[in-house]
Amino acid sequence: MYWEKELETISPPDLSELQLRRLNESLERARNSAFYAERLSAVPAELKSMDEVATLPFTTKDDLRSAFPYGLLTLDLQKVVRMHSSSGTTGNPTVVFHTAGDIDNWGNLIARSMYSTGVRDRDVFQNMMGYGLFTGGLGFHYGAEKLGVMTIPIGPGNSKRQIWFLQHLQATVIHILPSYALRLYSFFEELGVDPKKDLALRIAFIGAEPHSEEIRKKIEQLYDIKVFNSYGLSEVCGPGVAFECEKQQGLHVWEDYFYPEIIDPDTGEVLPPGERGELVLTTLTREAMPLIRYRTRDLTRFLSGSCSCGRTHRLIDRITGRNDDMLIINGVNIFPIQIEKTLMAIPEIGRNYRIEVHKENFMDRLSVKVEINEQVFRGTLAELDKLQGIAVQALKAELGVTPNVKLVEPSSLPVSEGKARRVFDYRESEKGGL
Amino acid sequence: MGVQLSVFLENKPGKLEAITNILAAARINIRGITMASEGEWGVLKVLVSDPDKAHEILKKQQFTVSERTVVVAIVDDRPGALHDMLLNLSSRHINIEDCYGIVLEEGGKAAIVLDVEDYPEAEKVLVENKIRVLSDKELYAL
Repeated sequence: MYWEKELETISPPDLSELQLRRLNESLERARNSAFYAERLSAVPAELKSMDEVATLPFTTKDDLRSAFPYGLLTLDLQKVVRMHSSSGTTGNPTVVFHTAGDIDNWGNLIARSMYSTGVRDRDVFQNMMGYGLFTGGLGFHYGAEKLGVMTIPIGPGNSKRQIWFLQHLQATVIHILPSYALRLYSFFEELGVDPKKDLALRIAFIGAEPHSEEIRKKIEQLYDIKVFNSYGLSEVCGPGVAFECEKQQGLHVWEDYFYPEIIDPDTGEVLPPGERGELVLTTLTREAMPLIRYRTRDLTRFLSGSCSCGRTHRLIDRITGRNDDMLIINGVNIFPIQIEKTLMAIPEIGRNYRIEVHKENFMDRLSVKVEINEQVFRGTLAELDKLQGIAVQALKAELGVTPNVKLVEPSSLPVSEGKARRVFDYRESEKGGL
Repeated sequence: MGVQLSVFLENKPGKLEAITNILAAARINIRGITMASEGEWGVLKVLVSDPDKAHEILKKQQFTVSERTVVVAIVDDRPGALHDMLLNLSSRHINIEDCYGIVLEEGGKAAIVLDVEDYPEAEKVLVENKIRVLSDKELYAL
């Protein structure tokens, strides 16, 4: 049931004590870096309680960029064994360093997470996440090996080969981008493979893209498996920061490794429990590159109550987006995940969609392209008209903005093998002049 | 009664051609074709010599395609013949989703392809009124 029973079911006072000890060690290590030597100069040498965390300065992604490459490194390069980097498109990439101890801790977090969903050493794990600078592939790889699971390091893409391995090696567990899980499904029919009958698959881990509960349910139904939400970010290691256990009631933040806070992204104030805001993480064990109050930009909230699995680590809600994902359409705030949630609740709508924002006559125009579900298409124009009307009404009710809905053929929307890009904002290029 | 294929298509250059290309390569003959469009998208209806095979091939190529049962009636190729036949259906409140006609080469006849939700009733009414309705075999060999 537990990978590390004592730590996973630790009592809140004991956890707090452990966190405080580790936090003070982290602060001490952090001060060895050029960046934190300065940033923490006004912070007392030792904190007396976890309540004092709220007085510490934040660390932002821009801080990481401006300290590129080695400004946050706390020790000599001879102690560093790995570097990962996040997928930034502008400016310096953010680079993250790991000691052997960091890699070991990270693997342990993944092993703990996988174990909590029921993965055991007799499982066969096909890892369809990218290997390389991206943390999704290697993070799970090391964790699965630590757990003793046979790991197939196949990486993403080449859908026919993926299905061949799934079928012939009878993989039971996969790790996959949610957008790719949906796309992969369209290849089964062509290959004459029934994912429900011909595979031994029982568990999928999805992460790296914010996704709605409806997407999770859709993947569970298509493959007849259990799907678990995995959360992490490369800045503090990668996947394994927070993870759903077998109860699927939210994600346990592994609080012996990370101290989580939810803040108001505008004021920086810590929010009362249950309020939605930006997740801030302080690493408690990282050696090469500890981060103090790192602003993840991911939006979530603490869930109240304790989980029936017996783990005491607090639960957070699924990530509803990043505060920089928010679209403002004619003054109305919209998160892409609201659109996804609404579309996926309509059975006639297929697995892929694309959101476009245009500027028309100085007004914002929200346009949503959706694939239709070929399984329920009966062959009439009337049903398509009706479907378009349903989608417009449902989106209007959810968003408070009337979008333009375009129906497109399945598999006609461009797909990438990395994280799915769903939002295309053309307003800047369409502003025009007076 | 027989089956025709209904294909969802975006209204873009080359879309129709992609389908005719696939059918030609599979040596499937097109007996009749019509397209209803809503501006940005439309539904192509196509009557072919082997609908099951065509359905399978198009599905594999990831087209959104469905098989729809149609009633095909034979009427004389003369003024008023279609009107007489439609009168039989409308007088029984049978609604037609859409229809199109093919003039047959021999014998001065035309085949009217009727896409009707309640196709068993439509066929019954036509037969009662002594209008010839094609069997699926006759239809695919048109």
